[in-house]
This record gives sequence, structure tokens and C-alpha cells, in this order.
Amino acid sequence: MPVGGKKQLPVVMEKEQVSVRSLISDRESELPGMWNRMFEQRVLRDYTTRELDRVAALPGGESLEWCYGCGKCVPVCPVDLVGEYGPRKIHRRTQTGTNLLESADLWLCTTCGNCLRVCPKEVDMMQIMPAARAAAVGQSTVPGELQDVFEKTFRYGNCLGQNARRRHAWTRGAGVPVRVLADEPGPVDVLFYVEDYWSYHPRGQQAAQAMARVLSALGIDWAILGAEEKTLGDSQRTAGEKGLFEALMEDVVATLDKYEFSRIVTPDPHGFNALVKEYPKHGHRYDVLHYTQLLAPLVDQLELTVPVERTVTFHDPCYLGRHHGEYDAPRRLIEAIPGIRLTEMSRCRENGYCCGGGGGGMWLDGFTASHTTERLSERRVREAAATGADVLAVCCPYEVSRFEDAAKSTGNEQLQVKDIIELIDEAMGHGADAEPA
Amino acid sequence: MASESVLVIGGGPAGLAAARSVADLGGNVVLVEQRDFLGGTPIAENYASITPHLESAEVALGRVVDAVQGHPGITVHLGAEVISCTGDAGELTAVLRSAEGEQPVECGAVIVATGFQHFDPGRETQLYGYYELPDVLALQDLESMLKAGSVVRPSNGQAPKRLCFIQCVGSRDRHIGNEYCSKVCCGVASKEAIEVRQALPDCEVFIFYIDMRMYGYWESQIYWPAQEQHNVQYVKGIVSEILPFGDRLLVRGEDTTMGRPMEIPMDMVVLSVGMEPSPGTRRTAQVLGVAQNKYGFIDAVDLPLDTVSTSRPGVFAAGAALGPADLEDCASSGAAAAMRAMAVIRGAQVAV
Repeated sequence: MPVGGKKQLPVVMEKEQVSVRSLISDRESELPGMWNRMFEQRVLRDYTTRELDRVAALPGGESLEWCYGCGKCVPVCPVDLVGEYGPRKIHRRTQTGTNLLESADLWLCTTCGNCLRVCPKEVDMMQIMPAARAAAVGQSTVPGELQDVFEKTFRYGNCLGQNARRRHAWTRGAGVPVRVLADEPGPVDVLFYVEDYWSYHPRGQQAAQAMARVLSALGIDWAILGAEEKTLGDSQRTAGEKGLFEALMEDVVATLDKYEFSRIVTPDPHGFNALVKEYPKHGHRYDVLHYTQLLAPLVDQLELTVPVERTVTFHDPCYLGRHHGEYDAPRRLIEAIPGIRLTEMSRCRENGYCCGGGGGGMWLDGFTASHTTERLSERRVREAAATGADVLAVCCPYEVSRFEDAAKSTGNEQLQVKDIIELIDEAMGHGADAEPA
Repeated sequence: MASESVLVIGGGPAGLAAARSVADLGGNVVLVEQRDFLGGTPIAENYASITPHLESAEVALGRVVDAVQGHPGITVHLGAEVISCTGDAGELTAVLRSAEGEQPVECGAVIVATGFQHFDPGRETQLYGYYELPDVLALQDLESMLKAGSVVRPSNGQAPKRLCFIQCVGSRDRHIGNEYCSKVCCGVASKEAIEVRQALPDCEVFIFYIDMRMYGYWESQIYWPAQEQHNVQYVKGIVSEILPFGDRLLVRGEDTTMGRPMEIPMDMVVLSVGMEPSPGTRRTAQVLGVAQNKYGFIDAVDLPLDTVSTSRPGVFAAGAALGPADLEDCASSGAAAAMRAMAVIRGAQVAV
């Protein structure tokens, strides 16, 4: 209040980060600099092209400065829906002098590809982010939890830090014989590349076992690499560990060279992406299918005799849908199952909402949580629950555990999360309570 | 008997195109230019290069000037102006005045191609300190520096390390009275930005804009290369004022995408001035008695599918006398006006 007739000027502060205590919860929250406008204006004092030049100089980083600020990317960016993000904003912050390599922005992108889908200038975050992160890896500014996964992958050949010898432990519960090439060499039609989460995660193992039963029932000639299998490491690549990815590729190719197979089938859209898009850049070419692409044409041969009376909604994996244009194979499988009613979420197919697991997001849960209002998986589960479905069907190994956690944390326990292969397995009469053969 | 001649007023890009087209169609042309040379504003204002192709303005316009000057059907009067025009379409009598005195010209039709002038940032208010701050320039000032091969700060003769363009100076402004978009300045500024980056690779170049208006191919011919290959930085938000800042300039405005005020030091500021009707356009419109729009440009009365007819039968207009126009517009409307003028002459002959 003015005292003694003398005008008093307001106190002006400038802060990048502000702590605010809530009057209701008494909780203290950190607000980023953009909210400083609530308290005072922070004047931009200078621009420098240095930071954009730094990113543009990285192989793959060139297109960041192509942004002309139309803003089409921001509304479709899954991270912006739970935070304050998007390629246009990253371009502007970099243009106004923020060092992307030292910014939290660097680690929030899930490389889901929805921005590139709508970008008129083809600013390609799928190239920019791995390039900028690789530069940050060189400077050792990687968030600890991600660094931990890099190290586990380097030491054990899988992101979970599990013993390689236990990689095919899941086969014991499959109920059907599973051929491991090291034990039973010789030509095989389908090499089933199990990848990390179906090999080690308890829910993934259930899916792998279902897959084994379905493959056997179809009479497909198939085998796995067993303990010799290492992760293809595509998410480690998009998270910035290009060197690790290439080292893994050398090992994987050496293993594959030992065996004779017609095609590779994998449940992991990220591994699928590596084999389809990255390996050929290094001269390694294989006939590769996602498991839904193997099964969809064989749908008439599947003996789907047990009706599954559920309402199902389907989540498109970014790396199967947007990155490879495969939207129909998973839906053909779901629709072939008797009893199932498929209901789509408003964001589906080309505009599918990301689960948050790609581009290293799978291993940045703590970091992401501190920069967003909720997990992408939580938002997606709420969208799935809003359709009234009682099953959220998926076909990416990252998603079962992510969405099951999210269903619990958002109070949507009624929503079951199931891989499509589990639904097929159930319809073939091998359901959860089926006796192992 | 109707005259076989067409009077073309103005020897810039549109007038040259009109004169050559009439003569190529077999008509006689009397080309009147108030300056002592042909080529119009691009030559008079020392443009370095034309937009969007970045060819030398002298070379590009020189080709057309040579074609006109060497044409047997064209008589050129330099340093001359039209002071009256009487009669009806097909049988008009204009009077030219030059240093040699006055002379009548019989003609069947008239083409007005008297062009534009650059908006003067000091016209009504001292906008952006154009006449106060030596390092605040306009597009054409930078053009002539680029043409001379030396981009330096007028205040100290040093090459600028940071240079910015401010768009929409004198355009899209109800207060100033020019509510229209001047159409070419986004492209011209981006073209000059490319040229500055080529001449001074260490100079950071920014363009502050309200919205970039790169119609048609200019988008991919100028805007995208400026951004993608020449690292020109586009910032949405216009500058409100320029203040002296030591021996530099401080541009102040709002960075609209960040929602924050900005105060950015610059070595040189280039005002992207718009187009206004030239004094010759205003005067000639009065002399010929053709209607002008509220901005002073000559009215095309039968738009949109007739781009060149004025309110007076037998009198056509072309180029930037009609409103903001780029070189392609000038060439097109010059040729269109020539066709219409020839139709008047031929039609009158048939009728007789």
C-alpha cells in the first residue's frame, strides 16, 4: 500500500525456477521459467544463432532450424498434452539461446513420430533427437536411470540387466516344445526374435508362451536363438546410444550368420524398426515381419473356437503404425476372434497416442514424471477406459506393463491389458487356465 | 482514321513490357519516361538483384531495355512527361513536355505504367528513427550496398555482426493509411538476407515479422532456402521501437511465440518498406482523369478478370501503378495492357 502519499514500486524478481506452496495441499511445486509471467515479465535480452548452429551441425540435426513456427506439431505432441513441449517450442527455445543438449527437453521426446506426420517442413525429431542425445551421451549428461539401462544393455545384452542364460527360461511354461537353434541347428522357416520384455518380464513371458502355442498350432517351422539372442537395441539408439546400438548389431549379425532361416518374426515394433530401417543402412538385409503381420494372413487357419466375450479397444504402437504404416494386421486379428467387439479410441491409427515408452521413455519414468503432469500411459489408459472397453489390446512388449501400472494408478483396474496374442491364445482354448500340454 | 499509335507512360518493367508487346504486334509506340534512362525503379534505386531469381537487376532489365531501344516501332522520349490528354478512345491527343518544349502526340490508346515509390519511414512520424539513426536503413538502401559489394554500418564503416529486418514498415497499417500488404517485401527481405549471409558469413541475420507472406513459388524459392541453407532466423513478433544502445541499436518488441518482451542489440536494422503510388502515378492519373483508389493507385475498374482497364475508355494501366506488384506481375500486366490497347486500335479501324 502507498504510505505517506509516496508511490511504491513493486518488487521485481527474475527467476528461471520458482517454488510455490499450494494453499490447499500445502505442497511445494517447482514452476518452470515460463510461468514467471505470473509474477513478472522476463525480457529476452539477446538472441544467438549459436545453439541452433550447434544442433544443425550434428548429422541428423539439420532439420531443427527448418521450423517456420506454424505450430501444427504441438497439438499432436503426446508430451505437450501432459506438459509443455513440442518441436516448435524446442525450435524456439533453441533459437532464443537454450542449449538443447543441457535442457530437459532433450529427454522428453518419445520419437512417436506424430509431429513429423503433420509437419509441412519435415522437421524430423526421429533424426534430431537421437543425434542431439548422442552428443549429450558424449558429454555424459544423461539422466541416471537411462544411463543405468545403457550400462545393463552393454553388460548383459538386455535392458533389464538379466542373465543371458535365463533368456529362454519362459519356454518351460509354454506347453509346447520350443526349438533353440544352438541345440538343434539346421534350416528353419521362422526365426522368432523374442526381444527383452517377452524374454524376461513376467507378463511378456506369458505372451511369448502364447505365441509359442499359436505358432505350433499353425504348424509353422520356427525356432529361437535362446541364450544367444541379444536385444536389437533400437530404443537405446533413439535414446542416444548409437555406439551401443552398432556394437549390438555386430553381435546380432554374427549370431544370425550362423543359422539358416527364411524370415525373422518379432513381437517388438522397436526391434522390427531396427531390422527394417537401420540394419539395411549397414548392409544387413533380412525378411522381417511383426508377429501380427505373420499371423494376419493365416487368420483363417487359426482355430478360434472359444468366444471371447469382451469389448476391446486397441492401442496402435507408434513403431508399428506411424513408423511402418501397419494399422490393419493387428485389427484383422482382433476382429477374427469370435465374441470380441472392437471399439476404437478417438486417437487411433495415424493419430494414435503414444504410450510414452519409445525413444528411451521406457527408462525415463522418474525423469519424465518430474517434467509432466501425468504419464503418457496414464493418459492413454484414461482414453481407453472412456471407450467403455474392458480390454485394452496391445501388440508391443513395452505396453502391457506400462498400461497395467497406469490402469492401477488411474483407478481403472477394471480395464485389463492384454497382448493380442494372448486373446488369440484364449480363443484357441489355451487360455490362462488351460493345462500345459 | 484512328491512330496506329499507343502512348506508353513510364519506362519501368511494366512500361517496357507494354511497349515491346505493342510494337511486336505491329503497333507504333511512343514511350515517355520522366527520368533520363529506362529501367524504372529497380535501376533508379540501385537494386542489386531481382527477386526471386537473384539475377543482377541491371542485366535482367538491360535485356528488355535493349529490346525496346532497338525496336523500329518504338519512339522513346526521355526526360518527358504527359501534361494533357484529350479526345476519345481510338482518337486521343496527348501533349508531352520536355526540355525541348511541348509537343502533341496522336494516339489510339494510352498505357499508364508509372509505378510506385518506396514508403518513406519518415513520412509522417519518424518511424524507427530512420533519419535519426544512421544504422537504420530501408530495403533499397541495403540493395545499393549489396550492388556496390560493401555491406557496412554507415555509422562506422564496419561490417555488421548482427543485422535484422523489420517487416511491414508502412504496409498493413490503418494509422498510416496503407492498409494493403505490399506483397514483395517478405520476399525481398529474405532475398537480401540470403545475400548478406553470403557476403558476410559471420553476420547473424534475423527477420522480425507479423506473418510471412511468401505467395506461390517464393515460398520454396526464397523463404525455405533462406532458412534452411542460409541460417536466416525468422522471429514472429514485430519490433515497436529502436533505441540507441551504446554504439549499437536496441530493437524492442514482443516475441509473440514466447509471449515475452524482447530487447535485442543489433548492429544494423533494415526496414522492409512497402510500396506507395509514385508521384508520377498520382499526377498522371489526374492528368488523364482516371479514377484512383483510396491509396492513390490507379483503379482497375473491371476486376478480377480484366486487370488493366481504367475508368477512362482507351486508357489502361499496368504494373505497380495499379498497386503493389512484383516483376512478374509487371511483365504480365504490361503485356495484357498492350493487348487491350491494340484491340482498341484495331476495333476502331474496323468500325471506321
